[in-house]
Amino acid sequence: MRLPVFAHTGPRHWGALAVVAAVVAALPLVLSDPFFILVLQSLAYLFIATLGLDILVGWTGQISLGHAGLYAVGAYTSALATTKLGWSFWVSAPAGALLAGVFGALLALPSLRAKGPYLAMVTVAFGFMAEVTANRWSLTGGPMGIMGIPGPKLPGGAEMTPTQYFWLIAGVALLCQLFANNLLTGRVGRTLLALRGSEVAAETVGINVYRWKVLAFVISSVYAGLGGVFFAHQNGFINSDTFVFGLSVSLLTSVLMGGSGTLYGPLVGSVMLNLIPTIFAKMHEYHLYIYGGIILVTIVFLPDGIVGSLLKMRVWRRFRRLPAPVEPDPGALDWARAAGGERPVIAVRGLSKNFGGIRALNQVTLAVRPGVVHGLIGPNGSGKSTFVNVLTGLYQPTSGVVEVQGTPVAGAKPHRMAELGVTRTFQSIRLFGDLTVLENVMVGFHLHLRAGLLPHLFRTRRALDEEAAFRRKAMALLELVGIADRAHELAQNLAYGQQRLLEIARALAARPALLLLDEPAAGVNPTEIHHLSKLIRDIRDAGVTLVVIEHHMELIMGISDVVSVLDFGEKIAEGTTREIQQDAKVIEAYLGSAVETVRA
Amino acid sequence: MDTLFVKLWQALVSGLSVGSVYALIAQGYYVTFITTGALNFGQGEFLMIGALFGLTCYVTLGLPYAVAIGGSVVLVGLMGVGLERAAIRPVLRHALSLSWVLSTVAVSIILKNAAVNLWGPEQIKFPSPFGDVVLRIGPAGIFPQELFIIVAAIGTVLLVQFFLKRAVLGKALTAVAHNRNAAAVMGINVQRMIVLAFVISSALAGLGGILIAPITFAWAYMGTVPGIKAFAAAIFGGLENPIGILVGGLVIGLLEQFFGVINSNLKEGVTFLFILLILALRPTGLMGKKEVEKV
Repeated sequence: MRLPVFAHTGPRHWGALAVVAAVVAALPLVLSDPFFILVLQSLAYLFIATLGLDILVGWTGQISLGHAGLYAVGAYTSALATTKLGWSFWVSAPAGALLAGVFGALLALPSLRAKGPYLAMVTVAFGFMAEVTANRWSLTGGPMGIMGIPGPKLPGGAEMTPTQYFWLIAGVALLCQLFANNLLTGRVGRTLLALRGSEVAAETVGINVYRWKVLAFVISSVYAGLGGVFFAHQNGFINSDTFVFGLSVSLLTSVLMGGSGTLYGPLVGSVMLNLIPTIFAKMHEYHLYIYGGIILVTIVFLPDGIVGSLLKMRVWRRFRRLPAPVEPDPGALDWARAAGGERPVIAVRGLSKNFGGIRALNQVTLAVRPGVVHGLIGPNGSGKSTFVNVLTGLYQPTSGVVEVQGTPVAGAKPHRMAELGVTRTFQSIRLFGDLTVLENVMVGFHLHLRAGLLPHLFRTRRALDEEAAFRRKAMALLELVGIADRAHELAQNLAYGQQRLLEIARALAARPALLLLDEPAAGVNPTEIHHLSKLIRDIRDAGVTLVVIEHHMELIMGISDVVSVLDFGEKIAEGTTREIQQDAKVIEAYLGSAVETVRA
Repeated sequence: MDTLFVKLWQALVSGLSVGSVYALIAQGYYVTFITTGALNFGQGEFLMIGALFGLTCYVTLGLPYAVAIGGSVVLVGLMGVGLERAAIRPVLRHALSLSWVLSTVAVSIILKNAAVNLWGPEQIKFPSPFGDVVLRIGPAGIFPQELFIIVAAIGTVLLVQFFLKRAVLGKALTAVAHNRNAAAVMGINVQRMIVLAFVISSALAGLGGILIAPITFAWAYMGTVPGIKAFAAAIFGGLENPIGILVGGLVIGLLEQFFGVINSNLKEGVTFLFILLILALRPTGLMGKKEVEKV
């Protein structure tokens, strides 16, 4: 669930955060009961783990029912390093978090392609593996556990008091929240939401889906591991009873209770859920009724979570900052003029693609000259879409050669094709629905953004400047396609024809040498088609080569410099629009032969 | 060498009997998954209620085992109606597509609490109706209950498949699974079929509980692990492949029993390691349909 209030603001609320931090820091001083301080410590480290899970659930849409396993990795690593190896807490704690990150990367591998219940199984299996390992391995001590885990020491060598330990955990939790805010409101959050919207579309603008999903898993796991580390050193004793399926369920419930995909949902959700056992401590016989009931009520009646539901209330509208106006950068298509030359932008020879026994493409040979609009037509089922899918790397050809600017590239993945300058739009629209129109285009710039994880983690000046500069470029592309006035709306709220235009703007952001438009006029009304054909010519004139697949003959004949015709997977004709219109084979393919017509 | 052979022979029979119960529960996952895309993550707790209610019927009330089986199947089957109403129907349209995971887990947590309140937290022995006499089959000693489980569970799985493929009501349910809208246009009450799917699914878990209780124990915490292992069996075979699920249940049952012979520490973990490997190689299960995204 994506809430527009966070779309552009970022953490501008430093003042509010400082006040909250001060109040939290003062809590153990005001309520100095030792039990209360323990509860505060637990709330703080469980919050860190919950926040980590939300990065996965809320931003990538992946569910995890195995985070207790990652929490266990952190706890056992730090506990063993301090008790068995004599490491200092200050070394063992980051080691625990990092090792949890490594396990997160391992967990990501089977999670990448598995979806829905299969993904749930991956995480459940991981959680149970961790639980069983903790229970059965001699090193982890099973139910006897590890005892005498030392707390952290101050630089002078004195043990930290419980209040100081709470300050440490809460301070780290605050840092974790700030880092998460920085990442999620900037490029990283945008890219992750894009993956959730459409992995295929993300790939075609050059995003390496695999790498980004692993990244999300690793960040999430480091947070979970850190939570486990603090738990181990709070208790001084850990055993296998803690790291059970129920803990994973509780972490996930915290995320959903607070509101997944909101910045502060994990804080609210984890504090509320984890206070319940304390509040209902005297009713332990009915504890699970209450707990199960709360989960059920949350899931059924608060699908957006507490923070999510609050943010949806109309009251906030008047407080919501309007996104700052973005001045379009005039040189939107300047990069394209540098392209050109005489070599074909893309050339295929003897290209075939089989699906089982069906030959969708048969020995197609075709070259696209630079600087033209190359139309591709053919009856339904003639192999046009397969052709585009092969050219953009979504399908691997069965045989044949694909060359980009003279370099053979057969077998390249979609994100690699985008790097080589080939990108596309989709016949069935694939936008990133949870992102705004402007952000969709920003995702398109993926290959051209230089500031990566670290600059965004610390929200450096460089990262911010780059974002601002590219927002202006994105605005210019929106102006070019004619939807700049909708820039700050969610992409899923655009009208159909506008969504098609947005796909073109997003593809242009990848700065392709070759842009493939797959049925850009499907479902678009006649006025918009006029606009579309002008747009296509403008893009060509700016220096981008286009391949346009279309059924709309008027459009294709009006814009194409060259037209190729496919029928039953073979190229049956190629030439200027005039030649194609008079080609006997083409007429036969569309209308049937004269003999058949007479019989009919 | 001889003792190892005996152990393996025994593991074969126990593996098949435990595995056929996994297959039975997993068949329940299959029925609801094809109709709604959701399944009951608390299937294990439904199994537990089946076992404990069966215990009450059979031991406390002294009813015949067959009647106890009937009682468990009916009671747990009816719980399926409540589950569908409370935890499935309200969440199926949610944005987070896996809300049903948590809502059904929530129901299972409540059931666990109820079971502790009603039957206490201790493990209770469930006497086998076939007695504790050990049958000699070849070199190994086998409980008659184990053989009964294999026959009853696999028989029921086949019966369910027969129902879905041949009976009018079963065909209607299968039609909903294939295409909900088309089924509705043909006059099938889709909502009722979904309820039916959850009733079948729950009843299967109830049956599994009363079948397996005599060879384990009956108690409030007996269900979670078999429930998850049955889920692994369904995932192994591919959630939409009933034959794969049957095979998956048996394979997982055998796997853990055989590894148990080698080292009892391996027994618990091997299922999960195995399923992780399978999913890393085949993301929709070993016998599942390959998912191809149309572009």
